[in-house]
Amino acid sequence: MNNDLNSIKTNFVQSLEKVKSEKDLEALRVNYLGKKGEITQIMQNIKNLPKEEKPIVGKEANQLRSFIDSELKEARNKLEQDRINSNLEKEKIDVTLPGKDQNVGGLHPLNKVINELEDIFLGMGFTIEDGPEIEWTKYNFDYLNMPPEHSSRDLSESFYYSTDEGKEIVLRTQTSPVQIRVLQKKGVPLRIVSPGRVFRADDIDATHSPVFHQIEGLVVDKNITMGDLKGTLELFAKKLFGEDIKTRFRPHQFYFTEPSAEMDVSCFNCGGKGCNVCGGTGWIEMLGCGMVHPNVLEAVGIDSSEYSGFAFGAGLDRIAMLKYGINDLRLLFENDIRFLKQFA
Amino acid sequence: MLTSLNWLKEYVNIDKTPEELEDILTNSGTKVETINPVNNTIKNIKAGLIRKIEKHPNADRLFICKVDIGEEAPITIVTSATNVFEGALVPVAVDGSVIGDGTEIRKTEFRGVESDGMFCSVEELGMNTDLFQKEILDGIYILPKNFVSPGTDLKEPLWINDQIIDIELTANRGDCQSIIGIAKETAAALNKDVKEINFSTSKGIENIDNYLKVTVESEKCPRYTARMFKVNKIEPSPLWMQLKLLNSGVRPINNIVDVTNYVMLEMGQPLHAFDYKSIGTDEIIVKTGNKEKTVTTLDEKERPIHEDMLMITNGKYPIAVAGIMGGLNSEITKETKLVVLESANFDKTSIRLTSKDLGLRTESSSRYEKGIYPELAAEASKRAAHLFEEINAATPIEGFIDIQTVKSKEPTEIILEKDWLNKFLGVDLELEEIINYLERLFLEVNKIDANTLKVIIPNYRQDLELREDLAEEVARLYGYNNIPSTLMAGETFVGERTPEQKLRKDLENLLTGLGHYQTMTTSFTSPNQIKNLGLNPDDDKVLILNPLGEESSLMRSTLLPHQLELISLNNNRGNSEGQFFEIQKTYHQEPVGELPSEQIQLVISEYGKDKDFYDLKGKVESVLSLCGIKNYKFLPEGSETWHPGRKAQVVIEDDIIGEIGEIHPNVVKNYDLPKRVYVADLSFNKLAQYANDEISYQDLPIYPDITRDLAFIIDKNILSDDLRQVIFDNAGKNLESIELFDVYTGNQIPEDKKSLAYKLVFRNPNRTLKDIEVNEAVDNIIKAVQEDLRGELRAF
Repeated sequence: MNNDLNSIKTNFVQSLEKVKSEKDLEALRVNYLGKKGEITQIMQNIKNLPKEEKPIVGKEANQLRSFIDSELKEARNKLEQDRINSNLEKEKIDVTLPGKDQNVGGLHPLNKVINELEDIFLGMGFTIEDGPEIEWTKYNFDYLNMPPEHSSRDLSESFYYSTDEGKEIVLRTQTSPVQIRVLQKKGVPLRIVSPGRVFRADDIDATHSPVFHQIEGLVVDKNITMGDLKGTLELFAKKLFGEDIKTRFRPHQFYFTEPSAEMDVSCFNCGGKGCNVCGGTGWIEMLGCGMVHPNVLEAVGIDSSEYSGFAFGAGLDRIAMLKYGINDLRLLFENDIRFLKQFA
Repeated sequence: MLTSLNWLKEYVNIDKTPEELEDILTNSGTKVETINPVNNTIKNIKAGLIRKIEKHPNADRLFICKVDIGEEAPITIVTSATNVFEGALVPVAVDGSVIGDGTEIRKTEFRGVESDGMFCSVEELGMNTDLFQKEILDGIYILPKNFVSPGTDLKEPLWINDQIIDIELTANRGDCQSIIGIAKETAAALNKDVKEINFSTSKGIENIDNYLKVTVESEKCPRYTARMFKVNKIEPSPLWMQLKLLNSGVRPINNIVDVTNYVMLEMGQPLHAFDYKSIGTDEIIVKTGNKEKTVTTLDEKERPIHEDMLMITNGKYPIAVAGIMGGLNSEITKETKLVVLESANFDKTSIRLTSKDLGLRTESSSRYEKGIYPELAAEASKRAAHLFEEINAATPIEGFIDIQTVKSKEPTEIILEKDWLNKFLGVDLELEEIINYLERLFLEVNKIDANTLKVIIPNYRQDLELREDLAEEVARLYGYNNIPSTLMAGETFVGERTPEQKLRKDLENLLTGLGHYQTMTTSFTSPNQIKNLGLNPDDDKVLILNPLGEESSLMRSTLLPHQLELISLNNNRGNSEGQFFEIQKTYHQEPVGELPSEQIQLVISEYGKDKDFYDLKGKVESVLSLCGIKNYKFLPEGSETWHPGRKAQVVIEDDIIGEIGEIHPNVVKNYDLPKRVYVADLSFNKLAQYANDEISYQDLPIYPDITRDLAFIIDKNILSDDLRQVIFDNAGKNLESIELFDVYTGNQIPEDKKSLAYKLVFRNPNRTLKDIEVNEAVDNIIKAVQEDLRGELRAF
């Protein structure tokens, strides 16, 4: 019996070596382990053996079956792997061919800048406010402490919708009237920014447009200091242009702030050494700002001896042009897709 | 404004480099735009005294000059210039020198005679050629006799090494439009004093009242003063005076006119000199309401005038446009014997409007426009009188006419508290420091108590009215950049977008994700472009009263014109396809006396390969889905802008929230568009109004579904929405979803019919559905479609 088992094993090993395909392998399996396979038959015959041989033969037959079974499995795995490998070779592609066009669009560069500024100020606890673009002159000028004779009120400088006395309506020349509207609506304390569209009677050229965009900021609370104005705007500049950016504040004049200032940032192109972006000065004018003029607070019924605040305003088109190196304002309004694609 | 640093130094001791000064002035509020030398290249150009001039033996047009340049022997200069003469003091570029354009001058031989250099013209000296009269420019620049000794390097005496500071002044600092004004600011910044001006005059002869009477008939002239002088001789003013004018950008004319300009530059008060004889009468009347149609100004231009313009007249006709420019008819000439010197204050708005109407802006008008205090008129007149005598140009006639129509203001007093100031600025200054800063600005400070100051404001500082104004004065001398930066204390604020602002951002992200580019267009369009859309511009008209042109005269009531214009631009530039969107405001007419209303619209557009109505509709549906809006319908309606068979209104209940369609061929033609353009025009406000971001989770189904595919052949004109409704209404409660998966017309289908195929999914959430139940539902549907729509089931 033992000899039988040994010869079966020898035969199996020889046959296995000849196996070429999964089909051969399956035939081999049936020959040995199938219902009528050699091992199966031996197992079935054990019951006919003498009592003392049964356990010995049984054990060896079982061992042989395990051996065959595991050899078959191993062989099958190998064949399968060979097949997969050969398929992989066939399926090889040129990965340098272009990807399929997914047609992703993009935001307008000006809007990207607006979103970025909004996010910075949202993080500092500001909310975003909007106001009418066609506005009463009292909101656009009077409440903002603009002198009645100021030239910006002239028909040659601002667009008017109505000049009926007492009901003058202008296309707002600045986003500042939003300050007044929000102060009236929400009162103090307050922290707002308001990006938006403004209008001035300028002919269009590379740096001027009758339609352009500003962002306005306003903080009013008890105990707001000029140091707070500086701290807030310095933080803003660092978030927009990076930690290394430097700021400087220069005295200036605006009707709705006193003291007033302009904030310059160190040139982000040359780092302050002087280049054509900053006109060789190392500094770039970024925004106008100042402490809210008491006349402005009083105009909306806020006690200027109790409350103080600061306001700031910046030209968005200019920031976008500086940030992306766009040299002609008209490109922003033209919407050539080859231009728009560069900001996607 | 151009300021000569040399001149400034006559009033303030400036011990800084130009670069340091630039920073100090800018940081203290006097913004320096640029600071540049008149000319940086000239080198070694010396004063030479021409001793002898001889004709060149070998050349007709050349002369040989022996010139003393302070050395032992005279040098030889060969010249072709004809304006030189023996005894003339001239600039000589000697061997090795460099002239204005950077050329190095060497000894050169001219027809056998060696020239040791050359004589120089104004241009070769590197001076501003725009400001000299042509006769002077054309020849060698002849220096005044004894100007300097021969051999002196001329760079310094001719102020060619002077630094010209270009200063940007703010609107509230009219007082700084002068050397004195800038000197005071510089002195304050450097903590220095300012030199006093000399006003001394001698007693005059005769009396002005014998010559002149002045009447002011308009409040646009708060103050008018006049003095008169007998001219000694009309001649060029001294070179020192001319150089100051030149380096301030003003053209020297003659000794009388130069003095008026000099005082204007020095003190900020425009002056005007009339030739008394050509005034033609013995009076000056300042008034508006002149009937003349034109006046000819000093620049020899005839300018149209109107009755609102303030004029200086001789009682009969204008002799000057007040504060802007004198009239040619009363100009100072070589023959002038008697001079009337006007020093007056004019209303800044009146000057500004007249200047704008005339299109004439002068050194004088720009100073009036910023505002001049009335007291300056008298001071400046006196200073001019001093200078006329100092340069020996004229002798004063006794008397001073001074008419004030507006009373002078009492000096302003401001109370300033130390504690308030420190709190407001966020600094910690001692009272003495505050006093020091204010006094450096020439303000009179009285200490009331340990915390309180009373500050008296001089008349020239009309910008200082409130304690906040003084806070700025202290802050700018303390240095804005020295104020410690702090972060706001107090209440905590939460910054977040409103639901509408969030929706807008989400829509932007969705549409860019769908391949659309955001556009930005202006707010202006024209009635014509509305007509070109097939719409009536009168329906909703927000017109600008003073537009730049007809094409930008209307505030847009729709985003469509710009969207179509940009598609046209892209297509014409060879961009064969495009997908765009814009979220912006439109403007709408309201009753007279009210503000126009503003709405936010969302426009989505596309053109090019594979674009069709349904492609865009799918995107609109994505937009609606993002908004959480489910109960919408597309109805085959819409404006004249659209292809009549390819347009739809997007409707929620009965509310129209927008339109979508293919652009009508007529509009395509009007706007020069590609043949097929698809646009959706939606109200962002309404999307936001109907938006619903509530999401409620539904359990995933546990019982199996049964699906049925049904295709119906129906009349072409029946809307798929109607068929869908019939299916929905007759499918019973187990219908889970209906999906249209095929639309077919063509072979095997009659021409006036179409086939619509739907996949229906049935499911009962609580149990396994039986086939028989679904069959029953399908039978109901088929029957209803037959009865309601005369549709037939199509056999596959």
